[in-house]
Amino acid sequence: MNDEAKLISKLTEIPEEDYYVSGHRTCAGCGPALGYRLVLKAAGPNTIVLGPTGCMYVANGHQFLSSPYAVPWYHTQLGAGGPAGIGTAAALRALMFKGKRKREDVNVVVYGGDGGMSDIGLSGLSMGLTYDYPHLLYLIYDNESYANTGVQASSTTPFGASTTFTPSGKIKPIGNERLKKDMALIAAAHPSIGYVATASVSHPVDLVNKVRKALFSGRPSLVQLLTPCPKGWAFPPEETIELGQMAVKTGIWALWEYENGHFRITSKPTARKNIREYVMKQGRFSHLWRNEAALEYLQLSVDEQWRYWEEMDKIGKIILPWTPSYNRE
Amino acid sequence: MSKSSQVAVQKVVQKRRVWTGARSVAEAVKLADVDVIAAYPIRPYTGIMNALATMIAGGDFYAEYLVCDSEHSQFEVVKHASAVGARTFVGSSGTGLIYGSEAVIVTALGQLPVVGIVGCRSLDDPGNFGMEWNDAFLFRDVGWLMAWSKDPQEALEMTLIAYRIAEDSRVLLPHFVALDGAAITHIASPVTPPTKEQVTKFLPPYKPLHPLDPAYEVVSKAMHIAPSLIGPEQRKSLDAAMKRAKNIVIPEVWKAWGNMFGRDCSPFFEETQMEDADYAILSMGAYSRNVDYVVEKMRNSGIKVGSLRLKYLRPFPTEELARALDGVKGVGVVDFSYSLGSPGNGSVLYNEVRAALYESKQRPLIMDYIFAGGREMTLPELENSIQALIESVKKGSVDKPVRWVTVRGEDE
Repeated sequence: MNDEAKLISKLTEIPEEDYYVSGHRTCAGCGPALGYRLVLKAAGPNTIVLGPTGCMYVANGHQFLSSPYAVPWYHTQLGAGGPAGIGTAAALRALMFKGKRKREDVNVVVYGGDGGMSDIGLSGLSMGLTYDYPHLLYLIYDNESYANTGVQASSTTPFGASTTFTPSGKIKPIGNERLKKDMALIAAAHPSIGYVATASVSHPVDLVNKVRKALFSGRPSLVQLLTPCPKGWAFPPEETIELGQMAVKTGIWALWEYENGHFRITSKPTARKNIREYVMKQGRFSHLWRNEAALEYLQLSVDEQWRYWEEMDKIGKIILPWTPSYNRE
Repeated sequence: MSKSSQVAVQKVVQKRRVWTGARSVAEAVKLADVDVIAAYPIRPYTGIMNALATMIAGGDFYAEYLVCDSEHSQFEVVKHASAVGARTFVGSSGTGLIYGSEAVIVTALGQLPVVGIVGCRSLDDPGNFGMEWNDAFLFRDVGWLMAWSKDPQEALEMTLIAYRIAEDSRVLLPHFVALDGAAITHIASPVTPPTKEQVTKFLPPYKPLHPLDPAYEVVSKAMHIAPSLIGPEQRKSLDAAMKRAKNIVIPEVWKAWGNMFGRDCSPFFEETQMEDADYAILSMGAYSRNVDYVVEKMRNSGIKVGSLRLKYLRPFPTEELARALDGVKGVGVVDFSYSLGSPGNGSVLYNEVRAALYESKQRPLIMDYIFAGGREMTLPELENSIQALIESVKKGSVDKPVRWVTVRGEDE
């Protein structure tokens, strides 16, 4: 509010200082951990982080009592990201207003997973997005499953993904038959929202800028960050970044932002790659590798979505995309 | 009328109000200069939040007032605000409180001195506005201090006292103050509030030891770690805090409160006709007034019965109870709860009292008067129940220790 968000244009401008450091035990190639590091680099030291239960809670703990957080951090319950952010921001405002604490801008970042934020915590998150606290960012790290409990489907798991709750079998060959819920669009439906964006760990400059725009938007804001998960998606750990890039290049993950009521695609793939290039890289889709009907449907759903994204980009306003459902026969 | 007597009359009028329990608690919250309030509606506690919203909208005092989406969010809001260093206020009733239970429990394990109101109400199903203690009792084991007020005056005082006890660095536990639904929340009675100066003197500002704020040190709170590493010690430290609350802080704070008004404030009990009592009727909350009334009436017929009102369920004053009941031959427990399949198939408070007296040298006969399910207690029912206790003591044994007082018919 006092200052403007400091935006960057290249990788070397990302701060060297880390506020998410060693002392955790995340998997090799962990997308959410990389996201954590970049988001806190973008936010800086004057930040309070709240971590709802999830893989970034359990894997960031350590049996040696070490902590990877170099800024104040507090756990919150799985469904409590929304109110945890509001309670923290409200306390800061009250203490500053009453002269019990120095007046300054303090960032509050809720770093919550897709299950915590889009399923069990959706109601509280929605409550949080209706308030007016500045410097409050809800960041959904979206690895498209409850990865911590052994990869169960959440409502952001994509169509066709196999999870331990949506395995592929003789009667149900598709795996997850539900379509991915669009949390960023849901956030954008809150009329006074400060800033909404989608991001990917494979696009760090874009991510840093979006986090900063969100924190300086003057209102609560939301960034949905795609964080490929080697364990949950079944791909080799060295391919995390490539998977993120492929999600953007195939168009299954559209990068956009919604700022002061204006919609904009922030990374437009010139010629979208075939969805097969993304699907074939991941074990969670292996049961579909020879299922032409399902692959056709996946491609169709991406194409259908992009008709909307392009139209939105053209008019600068949000239209709700609609995807035809999968025809089993 | 002379000018000086007009002033004198005005002063008296200002001091004494007629307030519901809900309004009284709201006045206490204002006097305590609470920083963050989280609201969600459910009867019968809601009146407190209505009153606070009106005060804040009118500029009577300033607090961040959050209209939440659920009780779960309510309790999470105040938990996190408290962690940053704010004084907080919250409340609920019945099934609403149960909906917030996950957040209620972690607040205690986080050692955050949130003060919350339970406007006690029967649990669903079916929906039931009657008074029952099972909503609050579900949290008796998890590290919240729990006190029961008897009227709007005490509801106000207990709320202020709760902040001082909860925020004491020797305690740092959240604190429920229970108001029996309708009987206290909605019934207006005379209240003499303390002055702002008195409250400021009594209640120092909340200063957390390790605030979650980058202006202080970097804290990682409630990290997920190997379960065996600190789990037992963490619970044990809450146990130690609970013991310090009972043995040191609660008596100290009630004494300080009493001194300010030249009153003798007993921390754990209010005793009526207990000096030479052969029979004691133990109760909590609003209906202890009814017990007092019946006790006085029976005293007039020469029956040596007394009334013992318990103020705290947690920490439970075990040794103090044994001392208070020394020489008593029979105890009747007035209980607005049920605990199905429990030892003796009795209610919660009854079994708490039985457990507390197990180590006593001379254990009295104990009877359980259950008023569960939201049905009001009538005075004749209470008197009959006391008569049954007297007959049992005379006979030397109790045939039927647990009485569902208002329910007709016998067990199968």
